[in-house]
Amino acid sequence: MRFEGRMISPGKAKGEVLVIPEPLSFLGGVDGATGDVRVGNGGNVAGKVLVFPRGKGSTVGSFVMYDLMVHGKQPAAVINESAETIVATGAVISSIPMIDSIPSIGIFQNGDVATVDADTGAVEIEGVTMRESVSSALFDGERILMLKRPEKCHSFPGRWSLVAGRVEEGEDPEDTARREIMEETRISVGKPDKRLPPVYTREGSTLWKVYPFLFKVKDVEPVLNEENEAFKWVSPEDVPSVVHVDGTPEVVSRLLN
Amino acid sequence: MDLTRAEEAILNGEEGEGRQKAMELVTALGKIYGAESLVDITSAHLSGASYKTIGDGGLKYLEDMVAGGAKVSVPSTLNPVGMDRTRWREMHVTEAFAQKQLRIIDLYGSMGIKTTCSCTPYTGANVPKLGDHVAWAESSALSFVNSFIGARTNREGGPGALAAAILGKTANYGLHLDKNRKPTVVIDADIDGSVFSYSLLGQAVGMSIGTGVPYFKGIKPQVEEAKALSAAMAASGSIALYHAEGTTPEAGNFDVSDLEVIHIGEKELKAAYDKLNVADDVELIAIGCPHLTEKEMHQIASFLKGKKKVRKDVEIWFCTSAEIRDKCPDDVRIMEEFGPVLADTCMVVAPIEGSFSRTGTNSAKAGNYLPTLCSQKAMCRDISALLGAVM
Repeated sequence: MRFEGRMISPGKAKGEVLVIPEPLSFLGGVDGATGDVRVGNGGNVAGKVLVFPRGKGSTVGSFVMYDLMVHGKQPAAVINESAETIVATGAVISSIPMIDSIPSIGIFQNGDVATVDADTGAVEIEGVTMRESVSSALFDGERILMLKRPEKCHSFPGRWSLVAGRVEEGEDPEDTARREIMEETRISVGKPDKRLPPVYTREGSTLWKVYPFLFKVKDVEPVLNEENEAFKWVSPEDVPSVVHVDGTPEVVSRLLN
Repeated sequence: MDLTRAEEAILNGEEGEGRQKAMELVTALGKIYGAESLVDITSAHLSGASYKTIGDGGLKYLEDMVAGGAKVSVPSTLNPVGMDRTRWREMHVTEAFAQKQLRIIDLYGSMGIKTTCSCTPYTGANVPKLGDHVAWAESSALSFVNSFIGARTNREGGPGALAAAILGKTANYGLHLDKNRKPTVVIDADIDGSVFSYSLLGQAVGMSIGTGVPYFKGIKPQVEEAKALSAAMAASGSIALYHAEGTTPEAGNFDVSDLEVIHIGEKELKAAYDKLNVADDVELIAIGCPHLTEKEMHQIASFLKGKKKVRKDVEIWFCTSAEIRDKCPDDVRIMEEFGPVLADTCMVVAPIEGSFSRTGTNSAKAGNYLPTLCSQKAMCRDISALLGAVM
């Protein structure tokens, strides 16, 4: 799977992906002599395609990146959602290829093998295929409708989700959302009350590109088809405690705020 | 970004690897912040001078830059370093630190940078003019030249400012553009007008708005007051430009009648003071952040004249540039009775954490950084209160 970002520091590199899910301060966050990561789930940056949302913290972080290079422990490449001065400076002075403006760090997972061509701003993740889907929150003013996937379901079996479904070839995701709601709940909805930019969730070698929608509904009772085995109405603050499909609480909270 | 043919040539390495790297950095930063082109600069001021702050990674970076033949192409000055070049033993600095620090100064010098090592180069060594585009690091100094002089710079980092100095160009975005120099909020200030009250005002404004371009009513800062205000707002917030009605050169260009007005008075100044005052006793009193001006040297000397220090357990440091120290020999003689007048360094970038744990200062900037960069409990009072307590 190939993504187009933007070149920050030139060069090409290939390596195993290490994802740090939080904004990273190289000062304090990474040991300049060994490459050991002291935050999040740890790991070591040496030779890795290092993926994190953005830099933060002290400007000395640029020199920590230089220190990594001096010790031969620098990452093969850096990928950010949005570059800022400290990491961009560190990457350029240390000759580490770097790109930003990729859609989300959610497209990567640890252990992926990625090839970065910073000169064109592109990154290719080996063996990953993308599928598009919709995820619609039906909100009755107090609660969100959640559906339980059967155990034999291919993706995220046995978990609770919003009203979800695959986008078919050439289909507008908004139409998909309405179609899936009708098929899975027999509820008819009009225009979405809100839509978010797509979010990305990895499930093994599948990358789900999910279009979230919010539909406000009133006095409706879902009638399920075979795609789901149960439904329940859940208040937004209880969504995180339901056994849910990855990313659901974040999507709900952004749709309602 | 639109580069000229000559700029493209540098980016393609036609003028050597050092200039190519500098161009890569300036264009990368320009891209991040949406610059459409580069702009010629008339001067640069660099941070990243203390061994304490840049460490071995920074030292190696400078070694490699010099080995690659890097030279600045516009007048450039350097920030304070981690010690007085000759009196470092009085600052409890180790031999190992001193050797590395002296090497860093030499490396900057061999790139053509004036190693005056002050955070107030605008009082002599490096004075931009109204409308000049410059590339300055050091948050207090760049805010001063943006605001009080009307030169134009963003908040540059050390390597970015060095790259700009090498090229004589920086990316044209942010505060280089007219549209971003407009006030964003009016501050109705009610202060007593002392330099210390400007420090507290800056602290309170940084705490209140964080970022933006404040437009002050009710104050008439001169150099010393503007220095304190710039430093405080850049440390408690990330403010790089302000205007003061009737005082700063660009203030008259703007209609502020539609802007939100924030009042800063006794209550807000008290909150700012409380935030900066954690320690109730100190082991070190450090004055001169940003560096003392000639006028401040005279004022301190006349306050101290004829008095005696009785608290032997408290050290006192006065920090200024070598240039100012050399201009004021009579003041220095009086001040030295209380403590060393140190040149080209300060309490924030010196490795004081090895020797002290509680430090008093008159500076809101130091009050913000002493806890985070120097592991100190800080006390922040005006000069007469600080020094009065040891007499």
